[in-house]
Order: sequence, then C-alpha cells, then structure tokens
Amino acid sequence: MGLGQDVRLRDESHARQLANAAVSDFEAASLTLDRARTGALLRDGNGRVMLLRRHGAHFAARLLDNHAFARLDRNFLTIGTGETAFGSVTLDLGDQAQVWASSFRRLEGRLP
Amino acid sequence: MKPGFDPVTYAVPAFILLVLIEMIWAARKSPNSYEPRDTLASLAMGLGSTVIGALTGGLIGLLYWWVHQFRLFDIGWAWWAWGLCFVLDDMAYYWFHRAAHRIRWMWASHVNHHSSQHYNLSTALRQTWTGTIALGFLFRAPLVLIGFDPAMIAFCAGLNLIYQFWFHTEAIRKCPRWFEAVFNTPSHHRVHHATNPLYLDRNYAGVFIVWDRLFGTFQPEVEAHPVHYGIVKQLGSFNLLWIAFHEWAGIARDAWNAPWGSKLGYLWRPPGWTHDGSRDTSDMIRERWLARDQAVSSE
Repeated sequence: MGLGQDVRLRDESHARQLANAAVSDFEAASLTLDRARTGALLRDGNGRVMLLRRHGAHFAARLLDNHAFARLDRNFLTIGTGETAFGSVTLDLGDQAQVWASSFRRLEGRLP
Repeated sequence: MKPGFDPVTYAVPAFILLVLIEMIWAARKSPNSYEPRDTLASLAMGLGSTVIGALTGGLIGLLYWWVHQFRLFDIGWAWWAWGLCFVLDDMAYYWFHRAAHRIRWMWASHVNHHSSQHYNLSTALRQTWTGTIALGFLFRAPLVLIGFDPAMIAFCAGLNLIYQFWFHTEAIRKCPRWFEAVFNTPSHHRVHHATNPLYLDRNYAGVFIVWDRLFGTFQPEVEAHPVHYGIVKQLGSFNLLWIAFHEWAGIARDAWNAPWGSKLGYLWRPPGWTHDGSRDTSDMIRERWLARDQAVSSE
C-alpha cells in the first residue's frame, strides 16, 4: 500500500526543527547531516550533543552523555548511546566525521 | 444482560475494519501516517493486552463483588442508573487517566499506549500488558461502594473504551463546535498524545471533555503548534518487550541507584522526577517553554 515511506532529513532546517521538537530548549548552533540524510549530529550553545536518527517513518533523538561512544572509520562515525534498545548508528559525515569524533572524546572526558 | 458481558469483544471486528479503511485513506492522502512495523507492534500490544486482560479480569471482578457487599445504596438496574453509571464511570476514568500520567508506577503501564510516534486507529489498540499491576482498577472501586452493580460498571467501562477508539485519527480535523465542547474528539485527543511542551499532560478525558474543562487540564489544538506524537524521550525501538516493560525497567534502575531516602520517590512521583534534579518532569518542561515563549512574545 506504500505506507511508511522512506523518510529523509530535507535539510539542516528540518534537522534543527526535529531536534527542537525532541528537546524543547535545544537550539542547534552547529550540525552535520549524514550524507544519506537518515541522521544527523547537532551541538547547541551549551555544548550538548544530540544524535538524530531515523526510526520508521519518523526520527528519534538522544542527547549524548558520557555513556556514549564513537568509532571513527574515515568519513564514517559509529555512535552508540549506551542504550541497547536504541542501538548504535553509523553516519557518513564526510570530512566532518573527524571533528565530531573529537567532540566525543571531550564527552568522554579524555580531552580538555 | 448476562454478568460479565463485554461489549468490547463485539466491537473488535469493527476496530479491524476501521483500521483497514483508515489505511486506505492513508495510502491516498498521508502515507506516513502508518508504518508497518509500528502498526504490527500496536496490534501485538493490543492482542497481548486482551489475553492478559482475560486472565486478570476475573480477579478484578471478584474484588469488585467482594467490595459490593459494603455498598452504601442498592441502586439496582433502574433505567436512570445506566446513564448515571456511565457518566460517573467516565469521571472515574478521567482521574485514573490523570493519575496514570502523574504517578510513575501507573505511567510505567500507561506509557505503552503513548509510545508510538504515529497517531492512527492502530495506536488506539496499543494497550498495556501491565495494567493490573499498575492498580488502575482501584479508581472504579468507589462506584462499587456507592452501589452500582459491578456488571453494570464493567459494561459502561466497555462502552467507554469503544468510544475511545475512533478519535485516534488524523483523518478528522474538527467536529461540530457543540460536539467539541462536550465530547472528546480527534482534535482534543491529538493534544493528549503530543510531546509539544504546550500540550504535555493535557486532555485526560475518556468520553466527556467537560472533565478537563472542569478540572483545569483542557488545552485546545492550536494550528501554530502542529502536534508531535509519542513520548518525551522517544523509544526509537519496535521491540515489543521493550515497549511493554521499558518504564518498569527504568523504575527498577532508578530506584536501585538512588539513595535510600529517595527510592520510593521513583515509584510515586511524576515521570521525569529525580532526587538530584538531573531530569525534567512534564511540568518543568512546560513551564520552561511557556516562560521562553512569553519572553520571546514580549520582545
């Protein structure tokens, strides 16, 4: 019947809107969309990092804390939230993958 | 009427038919209103809830019959008793439903119904497996004590549940004004399923929206704020066991990790409450959002 179509993030504005809907005081200061637009990483002015990923015909978000982990493989960043049910996500972030990987090292308290 | 007659059983074929009709509507007008895995999860939750309800319903019935011996009045089966019972049962439902959103022990059961990010007729069937443990049946006990026959209460509760099916839809925008003023409608209940701060913990009504108007929890759907459905922290999973038990697991984890003096707070305080203020309740989210909205408006 064609129900539950393939949803993608339309653009950065769409990702910002979804992030704000997930956490009402989250105003993204910077963000990177996955190349396939099935997810995104966003950071707000307070340094909080949010993972946005596709869930069925919608998106689900998580603010990442020190339970999160990231694994970098060239342009791909695999992010785990520490929640088994939410799972881990691999995003193709292009040349921004390295930058976000550094953010995660800061989240883990390994870098200043 | 035979004792134990359950009108919901007879409504199930109509439920299925209406879900199919809404799917056809969705395929033409709004394909993302349905998602196959989400719909399957909802139907499986509904099936599980029916089976568990059949197993535990007898126990609740026995409890009601035991309480009935202490009744204040012999109301019997007079014609007026039916109408009165239906209205009072709906008020009991309002308070049950409000408690189910405000007490985490009860929310752990009721959250199942809100866990879909979709709002369609299959969402109505996404029902809890742990309702008996959550003690929601206690809210109808006062009706038994007043003197309504437990079989009459069960029948009215069944009608109430049937009524609540049809308004889980985006296919109907608004009903006639007089109807919206008195009855719960798709528009009112969309607000109830919303995660938007403005809409959090509003519109608890079953049949008559007047209870929300009366007890200060009414919020109309506002065009400027399109509804986002689900729960504040979306599950991001179609795993049935996780849908059914995630909040119970959360309570256990929080109570285990809390200092002794705070453990019980994780059972009876609102969802989102923490002893160290590290998470937000819906009141906190709503108040913060309203303050920001007011500040932006006054600039």
